[in-house]
Amino acid sequence: MSRREVAPADIVRALAAAIGDESLPCAGIGATSLLEGDLWLDSLDLAALGAVLRDVYGAAVDLAGYVAGLDIDEIIGLSIGDVARYVDRCR
Amino acid sequence: MSRFLIVTLPLTGHAYRALAVADELAARGHDVAWCGPRTYFRPLLGPDTTLFGTGTRFLRDQAGHGLAALKSLWQEYLIPMTRFMLPSVSRAAAAYRPDVVVADQYALAGAIAAHRQGLPWATLATQPLELTHAFAALPRVDAWVRAQVALVCQEADIPDAGFDPLFSPSVVIAFTTTALSGEQPWPDHVALVGPAMREDPVGFAWDRLDPSRRKVLITVGTLATSMAGDFYQRAAAAVATLGVQAIIVGPPELLRDPPANVLVAPSVPMLSLLPHIDAVISHSGMNTVSEALWHGVPLVLAPIRHDQPVVAAQVVRAGAGIRVSFGRVGPAQLRDALARVLDDPRYRRAAQRIGASYAAAGGAAAAADRLEATAAGRGANRCRSPGLAGQSTGSSWS
Repeated sequence: MSRREVAPADIVRALAAAIGDESLPCAGIGATSLLEGDLWLDSLDLAALGAVLRDVYGAAVDLAGYVAGLDIDEIIGLSIGDVARYVDRCR
Repeated sequence: MSRFLIVTLPLTGHAYRALAVADELAARGHDVAWCGPRTYFRPLLGPDTTLFGTGTRFLRDQAGHGLAALKSLWQEYLIPMTRFMLPSVSRAAAAYRPDVVVADQYALAGAIAAHRQGLPWATLATQPLELTHAFAALPRVDAWVRAQVALVCQEADIPDAGFDPLFSPSVVIAFTTTALSGEQPWPDHVALVGPAMREDPVGFAWDRLDPSRRKVLITVGTLATSMAGDFYQRAAAAVATLGVQAIIVGPPELLRDPPANVLVAPSVPMLSLLPHIDAVISHSGMNTVSEALWHGVPLVLAPIRHDQPVVAAQVVRAGAGIRVSFGRVGPAQLRDALARVLDDPRYRRAAQRIGASYAAAGGAAAAADRLEATAAGRGANRCRSPGLAGQSTGSSWS
């Protein structure tokens, strides 16, 4: 696997694969987009994203476990960039 | 005969359950009094019912979605409401001396006032967020909710001694059935009675219903009006090319240029209309979902916040509907989901199964039975229930 840093664009691609392109307004999604506030991801969407990230980046990626460790403000503030940094740390 | 004091919130989904139960208690000859804002409750109760006013507190409209909405629900609505209502509810309980205080799960002032005065109290659980321990997978969110509850109790000078204002130790009446909620290890004092429904007369242009087409009811309820317009626009586009007639519930100015097959009505008589309806598109509010399932109508659900994602997940698991994203779903995806629940009879059959479980559960009559037993001192647990009290996390027993 490439050691290139995981970029926000990689997470957006994984998200499109997880929940379907047509339901994701891809234009304008970037590092600062909030998973819940901007993208309306709920727990089912997060589970789907987590499964795709695990497939791509390996079994060490546990998105649900990562989110379960966050408090309410951290989850509200969780962005695409945060997920990219988390996945990068897992590799 | 017994005396019941009902304490609930001035919100449709909460108040109407209590109204249905109160009607049943009154029909059995009991004394029923209410405590809440007169401006909201007097028109619903009529002139002759005893109502202890709380005054009216204008709080910001609920907004947002997801956990941001949960945070604002507690900090901007439930906690201020509890502070505001508690003195009035305490005075009402002291003056009326009910045999049982019947408190909506989120009308925390009812539980607190009853507990402080040593009165038996019952919980009306109108929705499943607490009942199903919905935040079990997010322990720090769960702990945050518990901290909000603890704050309310501390302010009311109730020491942390196993008192949980969300769950009566005597009787918890839940307006659901296991056909929807799934089997859970609930203790005996949790009574699943199915929906308790009451409808006030609402005018409706019945002659505009088209008997030759299948009909779809589209509603996002009474609390999401600021978000409704954009969703209704997408829903109208979704049904425009389906050979159905759609009835959208909302102010007509919300919708620009509705297609010819879309009726817009500011309010509808849900219980009279649903027998004519083939599918419902909804925000997954417990009231709308219960009314649809009661009539065996399948649903497309676009939950926004609070208990709505939980209710949607329950409906999907039971096979009675399809969940879509309120924020993201486009007309094409919404049309596909709607076509599936209309055309695949399995969705309707699953909805009818839940509807049959509702009819068997007893509704308001079963709720009244449990409340009468509590008033007579025959509640399942007069004293503290060790299964519920004093848990460090979780507002439930799972």
